[in-house]
Amino acid sequence: MSEHTLEDQELDVEVLRQAIQEEYAEVAANPEKGFHFHTGRPLARMLEYADEWLIGIPEHSIESFAGTGNPFSLGELRSGERVVDVGCGAGIDSLIAAKKVGLDGRVIGVDMTPSMLEKARDTAGESGLANVEFRHGYAEELPVDDGWADVVISNGVLNLMPDKAAALEEMARVLKPGGRLRIGDILVQKAVPESAKRKIDLWTG
Amino acid sequence: MTVGFVGFEITWRKDVFSGAPQAGSAANYGTLGINFRARKARSEEELIAALAALSCEVSIRDAETSAEEKTGGR
Repeated sequence: MSEHTLEDQELDVEVLRQAIQEEYAEVAANPEKGFHFHTGRPLARMLEYADEWLIGIPEHSIESFAGTGNPFSLGELRSGERVVDVGCGAGIDSLIAAKKVGLDGRVIGVDMTPSMLEKARDTAGESGLANVEFRHGYAEELPVDDGWADVVISNGVLNLMPDKAAALEEMARVLKPGGRLRIGDILVQKAVPESAKRKIDLWTG
Repeated sequence: MTVGFVGFEITWRKDVFSGAPQAGSAANYGTLGINFRARKARSEEELIAALAALSCEVSIRDAETSAEEKTGGR
Protein backbone atom coordinates (compact mmCIF):
# COMPACT_ATOMS: atom_id res chain seq x y z
CA MET A 1 0.00 0.00 0.00
CA SER A 2 1.28 3.48 -0.73
CA GLU A 3 2.08 5.70 2.21
CA HIS A 4 -0.70 8.12 3.02
CA THR A 5 0.51 10.97 5.17
CA LEU A 6 -1.55 14.01 6.00
CA GLU A 7 0.90 15.84 8.25
CA ASP A 8 -0.79 19.21 8.39
CA GLN A 9 -4.35 18.26 7.55
CA GLU A 10 -7.31 16.91 9.38
CA LEU A 11 -7.81 13.17 9.02
CA ASP A 12 -9.77 12.53 5.82
CA VAL A 13 -12.36 9.93 6.81
CA GLU A 14 -13.00 8.81 3.24
CA VAL A 15 -9.28 8.28 2.60
CA LEU A 16 -9.03 6.36 5.88
CA ARG A 17 -12.03 4.18 5.00
CA GLN A 18 -10.51 3.45 1.60
CA ALA A 19 -7.16 2.45 3.15
CA ILE A 20 -8.88 0.17 5.68
CA GLN A 21 -10.99 -1.42 2.95
CA GLU A 22 -7.84 -2.07 0.88
CA GLU A 23 -6.17 -3.72 3.87
CA TYR A 24 -9.13 -5.91 4.76
CA ALA A 25 -9.92 -6.80 1.14
CA GLU A 26 -6.41 -8.28 1.17
CA VAL A 27 -7.22 -10.21 4.37
CA ALA A 28 -10.32 -11.56 2.58
CA ALA A 29 -8.53 -12.48 -0.65
CA ASN A 30 -5.09 -13.54 0.62
CA PRO A 31 -5.36 -14.39 4.31
CA GLU A 32 -2.13 -16.39 4.21
CA LYS A 33 -0.13 -13.35 3.05
CA GLY A 34 0.95 -12.29 6.54
CA PHE A 35 -0.07 -9.03 8.14
CA HIS A 36 0.94 -6.90 11.12
CA PHE A 37 -1.73 -8.77 13.07
CA HIS A 38 -2.37 -12.48 13.49
CA THR A 39 -5.18 -14.12 11.54
CA GLY A 40 -7.18 -17.29 11.22
CA ARG A 41 -7.41 -20.35 13.46
CA PRO A 42 -4.13 -19.65 15.31
CA LEU A 43 -5.50 -16.22 16.25
CA ALA A 44 -8.80 -17.76 17.38
CA ARG A 45 -6.85 -20.05 19.72
CA MET A 46 -4.80 -17.11 21.00
CA LEU A 47 -8.04 -15.25 21.77
CA GLU A 48 -9.42 -18.28 23.62
CA TYR A 49 -12.17 -19.23 21.19
CA ALA A 50 -13.44 -22.68 22.14
CA ASP A 51 -12.86 -25.29 19.43
CA GLU A 52 -16.53 -26.30 19.65
CA TRP A 53 -17.63 -22.80 18.58
CA LEU A 54 -15.82 -23.27 15.28
CA ILE A 55 -17.45 -26.60 14.42
CA GLY A 56 -19.46 -26.13 11.24
CA ILE A 57 -17.89 -22.72 10.45
CA PRO A 58 -16.38 -22.91 6.94
CA GLU A 59 -12.60 -22.77 6.96
CA HIS A 60 -12.44 -19.85 4.54
CA SER A 61 -14.38 -17.73 7.02
CA ILE A 62 -12.02 -18.74 9.82
CA GLU A 63 -8.91 -18.08 7.71
CA SER A 64 -9.83 -14.37 7.34
CA PHE A 65 -10.54 -13.87 11.03
CA ALA A 66 -8.68 -10.80 12.27
CA GLY A 67 -10.18 -9.95 15.67
CA THR A 68 -8.34 -8.60 18.68
CA GLY A 69 -10.48 -10.06 21.46
CA ASN A 70 -13.30 -12.45 22.24
CA PRO A 71 -16.83 -11.02 22.59
CA PHE A 72 -18.21 -14.47 23.49
CA SER A 73 -16.09 -14.63 26.64
CA LEU A 74 -18.09 -11.70 28.06
CA GLY A 75 -21.33 -13.55 28.65
CA GLU A 76 -23.59 -16.08 27.04
CA LEU A 77 -25.87 -15.40 24.11
CA ARG A 78 -29.29 -16.89 24.78
CA SER A 79 -31.58 -18.78 22.47
CA GLY A 80 -33.88 -16.47 20.52
CA GLU A 81 -31.79 -13.31 21.01
CA ARG A 82 -31.07 -10.75 18.30
CA VAL A 83 -27.42 -9.85 17.71
CA VAL A 84 -25.69 -7.18 15.61
CA ASP A 85 -22.04 -7.82 14.69
CA VAL A 86 -20.41 -4.48 13.88
CA GLY A 87 -17.55 -4.89 11.38
CA CYS A 88 -18.31 -8.57 10.82
CA GLY A 89 -15.56 -9.15 8.25
CA ALA A 90 -15.73 -12.66 6.77
CA GLY A 91 -18.43 -13.53 9.27
CA ILE A 92 -16.85 -15.86 11.83
CA ASP A 93 -18.31 -14.08 14.88
CA SER A 94 -21.71 -13.67 13.18
CA LEU A 95 -21.81 -17.39 12.43
CA ILE A 96 -20.80 -18.33 15.97
CA ALA A 97 -23.51 -15.99 17.28
CA ALA A 98 -26.06 -17.52 14.87
CA LYS A 99 -25.27 -20.97 16.24
CA LYS A 100 -25.64 -19.74 19.82
CA VAL A 101 -28.98 -17.92 19.39
CA GLY A 102 -30.50 -20.76 17.37
CA LEU A 103 -33.28 -20.72 14.83
CA ASP A 104 -35.48 -18.42 16.94
CA GLY A 105 -32.74 -15.82 17.09
CA ARG A 106 -31.40 -13.49 14.40
CA VAL A 107 -27.97 -12.08 13.60
CA ILE A 108 -27.14 -9.10 11.38
CA GLY A 109 -23.50 -8.69 10.38
CA VAL A 110 -22.49 -5.26 9.10
CA ASP A 111 -19.28 -4.46 7.24
CA MET A 112 -18.05 -1.76 4.85
CA THR A 113 -15.73 -3.99 2.78
CA PRO A 114 -17.60 -5.62 -0.14
CA SER A 115 -15.21 -8.56 -0.53
CA MET A 116 -15.54 -9.41 3.17
CA LEU A 117 -19.35 -9.29 2.87
CA GLU A 118 -19.24 -11.55 -0.17
CA LYS A 119 -17.13 -14.05 1.75
CA ALA A 120 -19.43 -13.83 4.77
CA ARG A 121 -22.54 -14.48 2.65
CA ASP A 122 -20.86 -17.44 0.93
CA THR A 123 -19.85 -19.02 4.20
CA ALA A 124 -23.29 -18.48 5.75
CA GLY A 125 -24.78 -20.33 2.78
CA GLU A 126 -22.27 -23.15 3.14
CA SER A 127 -22.86 -23.47 6.87
CA GLY A 128 -26.64 -23.70 6.35
CA LEU A 129 -27.35 -21.05 8.96
CA ALA A 130 -30.54 -19.29 7.84
CA ASN A 131 -30.79 -16.95 10.82
CA VAL A 132 -27.92 -14.67 9.80
CA GLU A 133 -27.75 -11.96 7.18
CA PHE A 134 -25.03 -9.56 6.13
CA ARG A 135 -25.55 -5.90 5.28
CA HIS A 136 -23.26 -3.27 3.84
CA GLY A 137 -22.78 -0.29 6.11
CA TYR A 138 -20.60 1.72 8.44
CA ALA A 139 -20.32 1.52 12.21
CA GLU A 140 -21.26 5.19 12.41
CA GLU A 141 -24.46 4.59 10.38
CA LEU A 142 -25.65 1.07 11.16
CA PRO A 143 -28.33 -0.23 8.77
CA VAL A 144 -30.38 -1.61 11.67
CA ASP A 145 -33.64 -0.38 13.23
CA ASP A 146 -33.72 1.40 16.57
CA GLY A 147 -33.91 -0.94 19.55
CA TRP A 148 -33.70 -4.09 17.44
CA ALA A 149 -30.84 -5.90 19.20
CA ASP A 150 -30.45 -7.66 22.52
CA VAL A 151 -26.68 -7.73 22.06
CA VAL A 152 -24.13 -5.83 19.98
CA ILE A 153 -20.81 -7.53 19.41
CA SER A 154 -17.72 -6.22 17.62
CA ASN A 155 -14.15 -7.41 17.38
CA GLY A 156 -11.14 -5.34 16.38
CA VAL A 157 -13.21 -2.65 14.71
CA LEU A 158 -13.83 0.25 17.08
CA ASN A 159 -10.13 1.18 16.99
CA LEU A 160 -10.48 1.77 13.23
CA MET A 161 -13.26 4.32 13.71
CA PRO A 162 -12.09 7.95 13.68
CA ASP A 163 -15.34 8.96 15.41
CA LYS A 164 -15.65 6.38 18.17
CA ALA A 165 -18.38 8.32 19.95
CA ALA A 166 -20.56 8.18 16.82
CA ALA A 167 -20.01 4.43 16.54
CA LEU A 168 -20.90 3.88 20.20
CA GLU A 169 -24.00 6.08 19.83
CA GLU A 170 -25.10 3.90 16.93
CA MET A 171 -24.51 0.75 18.97
CA ALA A 172 -26.65 2.27 21.73
CA ARG A 173 -29.35 3.24 19.22
CA VAL A 174 -29.79 -0.29 17.84
CA LEU A 175 -29.79 -1.89 21.31
CA LYS A 176 -32.96 -2.39 23.33
CA PRO A 177 -32.98 -0.70 26.75
CA GLY A 178 -30.82 -2.91 28.95
CA GLY A 179 -29.18 -4.47 25.86
CA ARG A 180 -25.61 -5.74 26.18
CA LEU A 181 -22.43 -4.49 24.50
CA ARG A 182 -19.73 -7.15 24.07
CA ILE A 183 -16.55 -5.85 22.47
CA GLY A 184 -13.09 -7.12 21.63
CA ASP A 185 -10.75 -4.27 20.70
CA ILE A 186 -7.41 -2.73 21.57
CA LEU A 187 -6.01 -0.50 24.26
CA VAL A 188 -2.88 1.63 23.89
CA GLN A 189 -0.79 2.11 27.03
CA LYS A 190 1.27 5.00 25.64
CA ALA A 191 -0.23 8.23 24.36
CA VAL A 192 -0.47 8.48 20.57
CA PRO A 193 0.67 11.94 19.39
CA GLU A 194 -1.86 14.03 17.45
CA SER A 195 0.48 14.05 14.44
CA ALA A 196 0.55 10.24 14.44
CA LYS A 197 -3.26 10.12 14.51
CA ARG A 198 -3.27 11.84 11.13
CA LYS A 199 -1.05 9.18 9.54
CA ILE A 200 -3.32 6.79 7.68
CA ASP A 201 -0.69 4.04 7.67
CA LEU A 202 -0.62 4.05 11.47
CA TRP A 203 -4.36 3.32 11.53
CA THR A 204 -3.99 0.32 9.27
CA GLY A 205 -0.63 -0.93 10.56
CA MET B 1 -34.00 11.35 25.68
CA THR B 2 -30.32 10.58 26.23
CA VAL B 3 -29.45 6.97 26.99
CA GLY B 4 -25.88 5.74 27.12
CA PHE B 5 -24.01 2.80 28.53
CA VAL B 6 -23.58 1.75 32.14
CA GLY B 7 -21.54 -0.97 33.82
CA PHE B 8 -18.44 -0.57 31.65
CA GLU B 9 -15.86 -3.22 32.49
CA ILE B 10 -12.62 -4.42 30.88
CA THR B 11 -12.38 -8.13 31.62
CA TRP B 12 -9.27 -9.29 29.77
CA ARG B 13 -6.14 -7.87 28.20
CA LYS B 14 -3.33 -9.58 26.35
CA ASP B 15 -0.53 -8.81 23.91
CA VAL B 16 -2.10 -10.12 20.72
CA PHE B 17 0.30 -8.51 18.21
CA SER B 18 3.72 -9.90 19.14
CA GLY B 19 5.00 -12.42 16.63
CA ALA B 20 2.71 -11.26 13.83
CA PRO B 21 4.17 -11.91 10.35
CA GLN B 22 4.77 -8.21 9.62
CA ALA B 23 6.18 -5.61 11.97
CA GLY B 24 3.64 -2.98 12.91
CA SER B 25 3.37 0.01 15.20
CA ALA B 26 1.56 -1.87 17.99
CA ALA B 27 4.63 -2.33 20.18
CA ASN B 28 5.49 1.38 20.01
CA TYR B 29 2.30 2.21 21.88
CA GLY B 30 2.09 -0.78 24.21
CA THR B 31 -0.97 -2.02 22.33
CA LEU B 32 -2.98 -4.81 23.92
CA GLY B 33 -6.04 -6.73 22.83
CA ILE B 34 -8.89 -6.28 25.31
CA ASN B 35 -12.41 -7.46 25.96
CA PHE B 36 -14.90 -5.04 27.44
CA ARG B 37 -18.58 -5.03 28.18
CA ALA B 38 -21.25 -2.56 29.12
CA ARG B 39 -25.03 -2.37 29.07
CA LYS B 40 -27.38 0.19 27.57
CA ALA B 41 -29.12 1.99 30.39
CA ARG B 42 -32.74 0.95 30.84
CA SER B 43 -33.81 4.55 31.35
CA GLU B 44 -32.51 8.09 31.48
CA GLU B 45 -32.82 7.91 35.28
CA GLU B 46 -30.52 4.89 35.42
CA LEU B 47 -27.96 6.69 33.26
CA ILE B 48 -28.07 9.83 35.39
CA ALA B 49 -27.59 7.75 38.53
CA ALA B 50 -24.63 5.96 36.96
CA LEU B 51 -23.02 9.25 35.92
CA ALA B 52 -23.57 10.71 39.38
CA ALA B 53 -21.81 7.72 40.91
CA LEU B 54 -18.76 8.55 38.80
CA SER B 55 -18.46 12.10 40.17
CA CYS B 56 -15.81 12.81 42.76
CA GLU B 57 -16.32 15.55 45.34
CA VAL B 58 -13.45 16.96 47.39
CA SER B 59 -14.47 19.10 50.34
CA ILE B 60 -12.73 22.42 50.98
CA ARG B 61 -11.42 21.06 54.29
CA ASP B 62 -9.86 18.04 52.51
CA ALA B 63 -8.31 20.30 49.89
CA GLU B 64 -6.79 22.59 52.56
CA THR B 65 -5.40 19.58 54.44
CA SER B 66 -3.87 18.26 51.23
CA ALA B 67 -2.27 21.64 50.49
CA GLU B 68 -0.79 21.78 54.00
CA GLU B 69 0.67 18.31 53.60
CA LYS B 70 2.33 19.33 50.32
CA THR B 71 3.91 22.40 51.89
CA GLY B 72 4.91 20.65 55.06
CA GLY B 73 2.19 22.41 57.05
CA ARG B 74 3.53 25.94 56.41
